[in-house]
Amino acid sequence: MIQRLFQQREYAVALLLGLSVLGVALINPAFVSGENLGSILFNVVPFVIMACGLTFVILLGEIDISVGSLYGLCAVTMGIVASPERMGQPVIFAVAAALGLGALVGFINGALVVWGRVPSIITTLGMLTALHGVMVMIMGGDTIKNLPPGLRFLGTGHILGIPVPLLITALVLIFCAVLATQTPLGRRIYAAGSNPHAATLAGLSVNGLKLFAFTFTGFLTALAALVSVPVLDVIENSVGQGYELKVVTAVVVGGAALKGGRGTIIGSLLAALLLGMIGTALIFLKLGDAVTYWERAIQGGFILLAVLADHLARRGEHS
Amino acid sequence: MNNENILGSKPKVDYKKFLRHETALLFLLAALLIYANITDPEFLKPSAQISLLDNLWQLALLAVPMTLIILTGGIDLSVGSIMALSAVVLGLTFEKGISPFIGVVLAVLCGLAAGTLNGWFVARVRVHPLLVTLATLAAFKGIAEGVSQARPISGFPDNFRHIFGGITAPLCFFIAAIAAIYFLDRKPGGVWLRAIGFNETGARFSALPVDRLKLQLYALSGLAASIAAILYVARRNTAKADIGTGIELDAITAVVLGGTSIFGGRGHVWGTILGLLLIHETREFVSWHWSRDELNFVVLGSLLILSVLLHRLLGEEK
Repeated sequence: MIQRLFQQREYAVALLLGLSVLGVALINPAFVSGENLGSILFNVVPFVIMACGLTFVILLGEIDISVGSLYGLCAVTMGIVASPERMGQPVIFAVAAALGLGALVGFINGALVVWGRVPSIITTLGMLTALHGVMVMIMGGDTIKNLPPGLRFLGTGHILGIPVPLLITALVLIFCAVLATQTPLGRRIYAAGSNPHAATLAGLSVNGLKLFAFTFTGFLTALAALVSVPVLDVIENSVGQGYELKVVTAVVVGGAALKGGRGTIIGSLLAALLLGMIGTALIFLKLGDAVTYWERAIQGGFILLAVLADHLARRGEHS
Repeated sequence: MNNENILGSKPKVDYKKFLRHETALLFLLAALLIYANITDPEFLKPSAQISLLDNLWQLALLAVPMTLIILTGGIDLSVGSIMALSAVVLGLTFEKGISPFIGVVLAVLCGLAAGTLNGWFVARVRVHPLLVTLATLAAFKGIAEGVSQARPISGFPDNFRHIFGGITAPLCFFIAAIAAIYFLDRKPGGVWLRAIGFNETGARFSALPVDRLKLQLYALSGLAASIAAILYVARRNTAKADIGTGIELDAITAVVLGGTSIFGGRGHVWGTILGLLLIHETREFVSWHWSRDELNFVVLGSLLILSVLLHRLLGEEK
């Protein structure tokens, strides 16, 4: 029973998530207040959206670590186009510019991997470095202030009583989950990831699927920036830095295999929630200020635990 | 490379294939230096070059074991965090009033232990090294931040700074590089590394000590990271949990730029040294000439992609 549990990573992560929430709630009931859970959800919005795209990339056996810098570049582009102090264009242009840029960079990543035959880790590592440089050059050490109300709406507005970022995240999740499990495209991605050679022989265009996955990830990265950056009025120089590791971590803890072919949207979502609540949970455990510095150590520990659990489950399989 | 060479008793390296890539690197380096000489002759003065070299040694030291790890098809993303952890160990022992030389021993042990943990997960638990070291990248950095509360520790004694500053840094690098080159070219283990990178299953069936070699390599990488941390602390007189952040990406860039295949099996320390030189000169010249550090990110990122792209499109058949 326990082995069955660990073999399906989603259940293990869900269990860990439930136990963590329960544990913290027992010590400090305020943790499960609607307000606090809401703020945790708001914090994980960008990671969940990016993780949805990255899940498809990892399903195909590739990786994209450029998302952190791309997120920052899209945020800055959006801010510069829309901010009245810079270009002061209508918000719709800012949104289009950011989404277009995201999809374009994603496509370039995919093209380099597919046609240039550059390994994806190298391509996106180079992109991560280069895009960060471009962003810093554009920003020039300044911050972008006074985002127009139309743009702020994406971060702070409500539609039908639901905050816009959460609504968009939910739509992205549903779209991606349906795409992965209910459509021919999704099945092809799983097939191509499990065995690229067999997929090619079966007439699938593995290259086309990879191009799609990278472009889609770039697009979603821009979308993540659109709904999570305007929550604040200011865009800082360091926006998005280090996000790539958090997103990759979420997808992998959620059960996706780096070799491809295995992983689910729901697993990535659960893992992103689990990793995203650690920081808040530490504060609510009231262990003092000192403990907040341990957040990353606990995140890393969770990954190693997940990995060990996998190992033990596999060993059970053999015996 | 012939298959016979992989398992044959006489290790032999096919230099021809690397030479092509390394010649290209040399041309690039020469072009850069000629351009630098025309536009800004001050940059090439020996005094300027020697003082700029100070920025290189820690990165260079990390790139040597990284080359060997990537040759086996692995990767180590945690070296920057191991640097932070070792520096914090060194700083905290010093702060407790214990001699920094005991701190150095503890820091080295700490780096060795951290590297061994990586190696254990990769070799014994058989988890993808990218995943293991991604986890320990966060974990080690987190531990360093946690135990030091992310505050800087400075004021190290002069004798410590004299011994581990200055000439010790290049010395450590040269010893590491020569040992690695000797190992790769003259020891059977050097061929085994490549065999693992080419075909790990094949290497296992050939009764090569795959797990032991991997474990040792990751431990070695941790050891190098801790030494790099000590050198850094001695030079800057500060130990803080944020040192080494992002250095793993620089080290990987140097290795891959030097022609080592990220999938393993192909590459050499010589290439890495050229890659390091190219990165170093490019970075310092861009900072020197345009005084814009952020331009460096763009140049180095593009350089990494372009070098592999050209290598793939022009260099390889199939």
